[in-house]
Amino acid sequence: MSRAGFAYDFPHASLLSVGALNPLDVSMVFERANVHFDAGRSGSGHERTLDGIAVINLFFENSTRTLASFEMAAKRLGADVINFAAGAASIAKGESLADTALTLNAMNPDVMVVRHKAAGAADFFAKVTGASVINGGDGAHEHPTQALLDAFTLTRRWGEVGGKRVCIVGDILHSRVARSNVSLLNLLNAEVRLCGPATLLPADADRWGVQVFHDLDEAIEGCDAVMALRIQKERMGPGLIPSDREYAAIYGLNHARLEHAAPDCLVMHPGPMNRGVEIDGALADDPDRAVILEQVEAGVAIRMAVLELLTGRAPNARYQDGMEDGA
Amino acid sequence: MTLFRQARLIDPASNHDGLGALRVRAGDIVEIADDLQPLDGEDVIDLGGKALAPALIDMRVEAFMSAGGAAGLTATAQAAAAGGVGTILLHAQPGLSRPERFAAIEAAALDCPVNLLPTGVLVDEAGELGEAGLMMRAGAALLSDGGRPIRDAALARRALSYASTFDAWTALRAEDADLAVGTCAHEGDLAMRLGLPARPAAGERLAIERGAVLAELTGAQILFDRVTTAEGLSALRQARARGLEIAATAPVTHLMFNAVDTGAFDARYRLEPPLRDEEDRLALIAALAEGDIDILVSDHRACTGESKAHPFPEAEAGSANLEALLPALCTLAADSRVRLVDALRAVTSTPAQLLGLAQGRLEPGAPADLVAFDPDAPTVYGRSGLSCEASSAFEGRRLTGRVLITMVNGVMIHQPAG
Repeated sequence: MSRAGFAYDFPHASLLSVGALNPLDVSMVFERANVHFDAGRSGSGHERTLDGIAVINLFFENSTRTLASFEMAAKRLGADVINFAAGAASIAKGESLADTALTLNAMNPDVMVVRHKAAGAADFFAKVTGASVINGGDGAHEHPTQALLDAFTLTRRWGEVGGKRVCIVGDILHSRVARSNVSLLNLLNAEVRLCGPATLLPADADRWGVQVFHDLDEAIEGCDAVMALRIQKERMGPGLIPSDREYAAIYGLNHARLEHAAPDCLVMHPGPMNRGVEIDGALADDPDRAVILEQVEAGVAIRMAVLELLTGRAPNARYQDGMEDGA
Repeated sequence: MTLFRQARLIDPASNHDGLGALRVRAGDIVEIADDLQPLDGEDVIDLGGKALAPALIDMRVEAFMSAGGAAGLTATAQAAAAGGVGTILLHAQPGLSRPERFAAIEAAALDCPVNLLPTGVLVDEAGELGEAGLMMRAGAALLSDGGRPIRDAALARRALSYASTFDAWTALRAEDADLAVGTCAHEGDLAMRLGLPARPAAGERLAIERGAVLAELTGAQILFDRVTTAEGLSALRQARARGLEIAATAPVTHLMFNAVDTGAFDARYRLEPPLRDEEDRLALIAALAEGDIDILVSDHRACTGESKAHPFPEAEAGSANLEALLPALCTLAADSRVRLVDALRAVTSTPAQLLGLAQGRLEPGAPADLVAFDPDAPTVYGRSGLSCEASSAFEGRRLTGRVLITMVNGVMIHQPAG
């Protein structure tokens, strides 16, 4: 029986949530991101695969890191980029989100990257415009490129994420990073743990295919990676944690805590960090542990890959298997 | 004069459901029998076995005197007529704590095809006590907290105590204000996964338990406004066991849909209170069948396309439901979830009894507020045209049941085209 050839085209025009991806999609993103990551490190330069592509970055929430990362990714590959930031004229003038979406879409961009404080905003944008949209973070819902870059960072270190134990510590309730990471790590067969005080954990989080802990020392036991989330005072309601020092004492990551973890446990943080609160400064700067800057580096590579794949510009946009023998 | 023959007469007040004839004269029902012979000059409508019931009484409808379009009074009344609803209680709106404003509603009611009754606001937005006595004299059918839970227990106590002076029922929102602040979804698996700000069912239970305690303290008659959770229902049952004068409404949407219908942020299902879990929906249906839910309301609110055109958390809450109310009840009956006569009781005789209205029953001497409908006709909501085009959770939904004729005070206000 001859083995049938299997070909698979990257099927997505938008990236709204991790839930839309299958493991093959993820491996196509990672494969392409690897090329960019290496090229970025070696300084060998990137092919201008996005030549002629127009990207609009639409950030209704303040952001420097994610916005810069998307802009860098697009520009490095030759795309034309327009940044449209919160507080810009039309929003201040009270234009509705739907009108903003339609107006910008009428300029025929190839991709719009949207960040907004409301969960579902990226879906809404995609629905209204029918355009290609990347969710750059919508409320507490999803931040899919962050999850991809996190898993990519770990994959580069470990070869694969499957079978590893990863703990996410902090404000899970308000975190889109946590939601996207739980979905993606589950998809890639990692063992996921969530840890935080009850006020920062969603009700029913144990139904997410994760283990839930309130005690960090228990949660960290045998972990191959620990991700500290930023304590975001601006997004939390009042009274969810009593003080920074209490949080640091009970949920702050430091070297001593990692003794319960696996010997080579990696430490991650999506940034920006509150040093001395969710993560000890010495740990954040420890090159043997922290991969925080590597995450930032991976972010650009992942966003390059995603932009290429969504626009059909990636050289590997078709996955082929079993075609080697004379096919 | 009109004579209905071959009608399946459904009268929830007397628990009657059987074939018969009904005669209308001078705005009243005058005669009911197994069959009646037409008199000279009488219009005869042979329903061929289709149902004839009291026109519905909808105790919670939002419409605005000042608004044009779908949210205006005229359009809302037309939607009610098309939905077999003969009496609507205008839900408290700004200004309805002033009896002077009731005159305008009374005037509007004269031109309105359906009976229009105002709900008086007992505690206004500034936290001041409304003129309950004057409002009752001016025709308020019910008093309410205006849909805003009263945070201050002392104020709530005074307001309820004052309302009890006039023997008035007071509708209290079954929701804890603080637990609900800033939320747009039910705290359950789905909302947590979608990252939507959510409120727990416990908020409803807290409000009902608190309301029951206040009823005990003041002797007030409390109508819990829009109970939607199993937890709330259990609090309600416990309160009833203490012999209090309390009643509860449920919105029809919450007997038909659950949080999963929200899907990927579909703003048509952005409702207030939010859609709950499936177990809550089933508990509500069971409570309707058992009578723990006294009254069903459409909770009709016409949101224009604009106000819904936002991401889910920012979209306006509400759904146009007047034309779906009766088909929804028929659908529940067709699915054998509840007997049709029991479902109808919650929108006819029970609200009539609570408000002291003469309509809502099939009985000689009662006003001829009637609805003729086909309880078995399959329909798709919106396919054969709607009176109210505003956003609805029912849009495109398959339902069973179609309204044929609506009559109010003996006047035909809705009938099939052609």
